[in-house]
Amino acid sequence: MEAGSAFQLYLDSALESFGIEADETERAVMAGVWSIWEPGMNLLRDADLDGERHEPLPDLSAPPAA
Amino acid sequence: MSALDLPLREQAAEIASGEIDPGELLEECLGRIEERNPELNAVVATFPEQSREMLERAPDGPLRGVPVVIKDEWPLPWRAETVGAAAVPGVTTRPGESGPYRALRDAGAVVAAVGNMHELGSSSTGNTSVYGPAHNPWDLERCPGGSSSGPGASVAGGLVSGAIGADGLGSIRYPAAYCGLTGLKPTFGRSAMEGHHIPNTETIVSGPLCRDAADCRLLASVMFGEALPSEQRSALRIGVIRDPFWSDSAPGVREACESALEALRAEVGGEVIEVEIPDQELILPAAVLVAQSEEAGHLTPRNLNALPEELGLINRSVLKLRGLIPGSLTARAFLARAQARRNLAALFERVDLLAWPTVPAVAPPLADPMIELPSGAASADAGNARQGVIANLTGIPGLNAPVGLDEGLPVGLQLLAAWGRDALLLDAAEALERATSREFVELRPAAVA
Repeated sequence: MEAGSAFQLYLDSALESFGIEADETERAVMAGVWSIWEPGMNLLRDADLDGERHEPLPDLSAPPAA
Repeated sequence: MSALDLPLREQAAEIASGEIDPGELLEECLGRIEERNPELNAVVATFPEQSREMLERAPDGPLRGVPVVIKDEWPLPWRAETVGAAAVPGVTTRPGESGPYRALRDAGAVVAAVGNMHELGSSSTGNTSVYGPAHNPWDLERCPGGSSSGPGASVAGGLVSGAIGADGLGSIRYPAAYCGLTGLKPTFGRSAMEGHHIPNTETIVSGPLCRDAADCRLLASVMFGEALPSEQRSALRIGVIRDPFWSDSAPGVREACESALEALRAEVGGEVIEVEIPDQELILPAAVLVAQSEEAGHLTPRNLNALPEELGLINRSVLKLRGLIPGSLTARAFLARAQARRNLAALFERVDLLAWPTVPAVAPPLADPMIELPSGAASADAGNARQGVIANLTGIPGLNAPVGLDEGLPVGLQLLAAWGRDALLLDAAEALERATSREFVELRPAAVA
């Protein structure tokens, strides 16, 4: 299945499931935006982050605690 | 030269010494807004009565009597912010005393106008606003940069000498780059932010846009509530990450930034070191998701279905799309943030600064904000965000310094430093100004020269 059509299936069903109304023009814009975001989102999805530790309650004004 | 064209610090000094009448300065500022704003659309509200009242009550602070512009992202006691939009999903904005307003008032500054901004702060271009877009004073058909489009165009257009913007994913640095200004994105949490419509933000900060680093230092010290003394720096270690930040920038931008980098290195007797950040490609999607998560609590079907037609098509659509992003991806974004912060902390053991072009190409047309990069055509937003979001994801400070022109439009070099080293960025920008005989901070658009 084409990536675009897979997203379209997800988009249409997710909008319906969540009860979010969107006309055809808005759906086309969403598909266009997703095509820009998708490569990065896939990298994030597939990245090996299993060895990474969460930073609980981070102080973003300072470097991470050692 | 009109007093209005003096640097912020000179306006303040000459008011303090009695050489400038602050009442006359304010009236001149309001007159210039009336004269130039129809073309620039840099400001979306003036309120002469309240501005004059601020001046009457101005305490003897470091900016007493100096007119400034504040972005449409904070409330004022007499005006609710609109965030450049017909509606802010799930939020009712109200007039009030925001942190930036209080900091300016207590420093004696006079808020002369509210600056335009990209609708909901959602783009680096500034080409969409409920008030119509602000225009770049260097070329009125070009983007001024966003989302602090009005603050950038106000200073570059000579309406004021200093403005307060907000930077959530680069939104001070991009307009500073497009408009030929110095703009500082402070370390997260260091500048006044109270009253912002996203009180839980972990990415957005307030900060100054001015013509040079000394004015940014003054305005930043007011927003920080603390002095930022200057220091003569030497032997700075400047890290550069070539790919993609330098290699995928337009040739003219890259050349101007290379020249500036070499001038800075020579001025401080430092060294340029090639470095890398592991898993760098995760930074952009992680930053986008972390920033989006801050407003996600309001993206309910009820609020999304009530978005008015007056809100731009792109924002309406993107807000609805954001309501569909899987939570697992956002959770991984926070994990990637932790990773990026650790990697940067390790990197800043080896270098004092990181440097690369703030934006990979000069300001694109308002009507079609696309840019041409070595890797091909790209939306300006995609190219700009790639260069800028690391500072917001991790909390470090960043600065744009003007370093020349390409195709007659400003080019900016971005400097980044470790957490809390905002003053180092200002020192480095001042060193760059010395090294280039202030050539680039003295450039003015032909329309206002």
